[in-house]
Amino acid sequence: MSVKIANNLQSGNVVILEGEPVVVIKAVINKSGRNQAVVKVKAKNLLTNRVSEVIFKSDDKLEGVMMEKKDCKYSYFSAPNHVFVDDEFNEYEIDAETISDLEKYIVDGMEEVCEVTFYEDRPISVVLPKIIVREVEYTEPVVRGDTSGKITKTAVLKETKHELQVSAFVEIGDKIEIDTETGEFRKRLS
Amino acid sequence: MQNNILRWDIFCTVVDNYGDIGVCWRLARQLADEHDADIRLWVDNLDSFSHLCPSINTDAEVQHLEGMEIHRWRPDFPSVEVADVVIEAFACELPESYIETMAARKTAPIWINLEYLSAEDWVVGTHLLASPHKHHPLRKHFFFPGFTPTTGGLIRERDLLSVRSNFDESDADKFLAGLGVPPREGTETRVSLFCYDNPMLPELLQEWADGPDRIRVLVTPGAPARQVADWLGEQLLPGAAFSKNQLTLHALPFLSHTGYDRLLWACDMNFVRGEDSFVRAQWAQRPFVWQIYPQTENTHLIKLEAFLTRYLQNFPESETVKRFWQRWNGPGEIGASWRDFVAVWPSLELHTKVWVGQLDRTRNLADNLVRFVFGK
Repeated sequence: MSVKIANNLQSGNVVILEGEPVVVIKAVINKSGRNQAVVKVKAKNLLTNRVSEVIFKSDDKLEGVMMEKKDCKYSYFSAPNHVFVDDEFNEYEIDAETISDLEKYIVDGMEEVCEVTFYEDRPISVVLPKIIVREVEYTEPVVRGDTSGKITKTAVLKETKHELQVSAFVEIGDKIEIDTETGEFRKRLS
Repeated sequence: MQNNILRWDIFCTVVDNYGDIGVCWRLARQLADEHDADIRLWVDNLDSFSHLCPSINTDAEVQHLEGMEIHRWRPDFPSVEVADVVIEAFACELPESYIETMAARKTAPIWINLEYLSAEDWVVGTHLLASPHKHHPLRKHFFFPGFTPTTGGLIRERDLLSVRSNFDESDADKFLAGLGVPPREGTETRVSLFCYDNPMLPELLQEWADGPDRIRVLVTPGAPARQVADWLGEQLLPGAAFSKNQLTLHALPFLSHTGYDRLLWACDMNFVRGEDSFVRAQWAQRPFVWQIYPQTENTHLIKLEAFLTRYLQNFPESETVKRFWQRWNGPGEIGASWRDFVAVWPSLELHTKVWVGQLDRTRNLADNLVRFVFGK
């Protein structure tokens, strides 16, 4: 067992709620008042498969669960599951709803190594690498003269069509680094 | 829950002087007056409380007031019977011993964390979510006040708007005379001032002094009076008045909740801050300016914008109002935006009445709490 601070919860974490293990599907932090924050968590009970939403103060402590983990690569989608493969070509299926928060980054045959978590030999969650690289399929024309990165605009990622804010100098076809924990653009590679 | 179970414990820690206890005291009174709730209010700072409610005995450990039981909340918390409904205001931490007693109770109490007021959209999807306790079989529900029917609503006593609508100019003069404020002179504008430390205030005071119209500013004690005194270079004790060109400053004593409401009703415009006075200024149906509680990373500006967007929807001169509120809450030159703001007052006052009508159609915070409790 370990301690998880609500503020640090992210998709794929497994914690104990009301005596039962749940996997975090999505955790969203919102600032409330006087520099306090609340964390809204969508989680799936690993015993009943029931999905529910709960809330915590950002500094609440939760009981984390140490789980078996394996490095895998994403392979393909076979409705309603995503399929991941380990080094020995074992396939693991995880239902799309559980990792819906990651679908904006998942593409067939992606090279990045993901961490698949198992509960009683059952794959229950995936954590992507902190940094991934994706190609920009569309964004408005480059803003000349701005190299500071402070001005942002919307970009659409190739394949997943996910939209995010990028620096104004990013162009169509650029490869960009994205922080999967925050969902933020980090830098342009090309 | 059965209708005969109506014992409530409300816990309040005073973080700033009047905001937390202001909200808790109003809510407690409304629950007791309008819902026959048996209230026990735990407050860690009776000195702050006594400014809002002069009847409070700051030396007493337990006292009875307006049908409620008021307890000094000490770190060494006593062993007490747990109420049916437990409210922790603004995420204050309940005593561990009390939580253990809650867990040991045959029927778990309904545990509510009364959160801060926000106009942001995320509140709607978060209001009433439960938070399971880490160790005990207890669930705490997060209750978010707000401006829409899908939130917890705002504090508004049942008769507030009718009492407000019966309060006329002669009542205003009588009320202000009791504070030593003379009757209105000609077209003089009356403004009440309640704010945090605000670097914009000296420039605004100068603008008022140099402006074309006579203005009387009624200054509340604490941070407003201190800053005005610094600008004047004079002590500003309650009752004192100073004039500088077109501006007359009048220092007020601490006012009770009832008195502060009447001050808001008696003034043509109100500067308010935080949460409690911000809500009361809306019920006053006068143009108002809000200084929001400053937060790190400018989070408060997002919250300010969220409120302005709701409040000024369909108001043609919204940009003028936004600009002045933004100046009052941030850097920039405030004089010109004040002059623009004054020009839209008549239409803003009408718009504010429409806004209040809209708020009045949603249930108030106390009613929503009671409905939630009885629905469990």
